[in-house]
Amino acid sequence: MHIQLSRLTRGATACAAVAFGLAACASTPIPNEKIAVARESVQRAERAGAPELAPVEMATARDKLARAEKAAVDREGYPATKLAEQAIVDADLAEATARQQRSHKAAMEFDANMRALSSESNRSTQPTQ
Amino acid sequence: MNSKLLTGMGLALALCACASAPRQNAALESAHAAVRSAESDPNVNKYAALDLDMARKQLAIADDAALHHDDAAIDQPAYLAAQNARLAEARATAKADDARVAAGQGERDSIVLASRTREVDSAKMAANVAREQRDEATGEAARAQVDAARSQMDAARSQMDATRSQDEAARLQAEVDSLKAKPTPRGLVLTLGDVLFDTGRAELNPGAGRKLDQLAQFLNEHKDRRVQIDGFTDSVGTDSYNEELSHRRADSVKSALLLRGVDSSRISTEGYGKAFPVANNVDSGGRQLNRRVEVIIGADDGRAISPRG
Repeated sequence: MHIQLSRLTRGATACAAVAFGLAACASTPIPNEKIAVARESVQRAERAGAPELAPVEMATARDKLARAEKAAVDREGYPATKLAEQAIVDADLAEATARQQRSHKAAMEFDANMRALSSESNRSTQPTQ
Repeated sequence: MNSKLLTGMGLALALCACASAPRQNAALESAHAAVRSAESDPNVNKYAALDLDMARKQLAIADDAALHHDDAAIDQPAYLAAQNARLAEARATAKADDARVAAGQGERDSIVLASRTREVDSAKMAANVAREQRDEATGEAARAQVDAARSQMDAARSQMDATRSQDEAARLQAEVDSLKAKPTPRGLVLTLGDVLFDTGRAELNPGAGRKLDQLAQFLNEHKDRRVQIDGFTDSVGTDSYNEELSHRRADSVKSALLLRGVDSSRISTEGYGKAFPVANNVDSGGRQLNRRVEVIIGADDGRAISPRG
C-alpha cells in the first residue's frame, strides 16, 4: 500500500516534470532581439579586424550566429536563444582579442622605439671627438 | 528492512554525487579554470572588473545547476562564464598595453626633449671650443674655421678678379705712361732717342740704363707680349753704313734687354738706316730726332709685330 502510493507519487511527479519541460520548450520565444545583437557583435568584430587578428574566435562566433539564425528559422526558440547568447560573447571575445593583438603590437613598437631613442640619447651624451 | 537498506545506499550515493558533481562536468571545469586565470591577472581587476563580475555570475549559475544535478542547465552558463573570463583577460591586457604606451609617451617626450637640449648644448660647447681654438690660432677645429673664412675670402677674391682686369688696364696705362710709349696700330711704340748712343757708335750710354730697366721690367711682367726693336739713323753717311749702324743699335738694345732677363725668342730687331725720318735732316736738331731706336711692344696675345711698312 505504502509502496504503491510512493510509486504513484513518483509517476505523477515525472509526468508533471515532462509536462513542465514541454511547456518550457513551447513557451521559449524566438530570440529575434538576441540574434540581432549577436549579428551586430559579429559585424563589430569584423570591423575591428578579428578575421585576420583572431580568426579562431571569429570563426566560432560566425558559426554560432549562423546556427542561431537557422534554429530561429526552424522555430526552435530554446537552442536559438542559447546559440545567440554564445555568439554574442564569442564575437565580443573575437573583437577583444583583435584589439589586444593590435595594442600588443603597438606596445612592442613603442618599446623598440624607446630602446632606440635611449641608446641614441646615451650615445649623444658621450663626449664628442 | 531490505528496502530501508537500499534507500540508505541510495542516499549515500546521492550525497557522494552531490559532493563531486561540480568537478565532473568538463565545461564547468573549463569555466572554473578560465575564471581562476582571469582572477589571478592583476590587470583584469584593474581594467576589466565588470567582465570578471559577469563571468563569476555565470559560473555561480553553472555551479548551482551542478549542485542541483540539473546537468542540462550547466553547459550554457559554464560556457558563458569561460568566454567572459577570457574576454576580461583580453580587454585587460589590451588596456594595460595602451596605458603603458600612453604613460611612456610622456617619458619618450622628455627623453626627446633632453636629447634635443643636449644637442643644442653640445653644439654651443663645440662653437665655444672652436672659438677658443681659433683665438689661439691652433688646432684642427680652428683651422677648419680658418678654412671656412678662407673659402669666403676666395669667393670675395674671385669677385675681385672680375674687377682686376680693369685695374690691370689702369696699371698698364700707368706703366705705358712712365715709359712714354705711344699707342700705334703696330703696338706701343717707345722711342729711345740717340742721346742713348754716342755719335757713330752703337754702345748704349750708361744713362740709358734707367729707361731700359723700366722697359725690361714691363716686358718681364707681360711675358705674353713680343717686342720689335727698330733702329734708325739720320742721312749723314752712306746708306750701307747707316743701315749697318741702325742694326747694331737695335742689337745693343736687344742685348741690354737680354741682360735684364727678357727671353731672346720674344725679341726681333730690324735696322732701317736713314729711312722713316721723324724730322728733317737739315739741321742738327732734326737729325738728332732721326737718330733713334724705336721699341714696339706687341699686343698681349703674343702675335708677331708686323714689319715697318
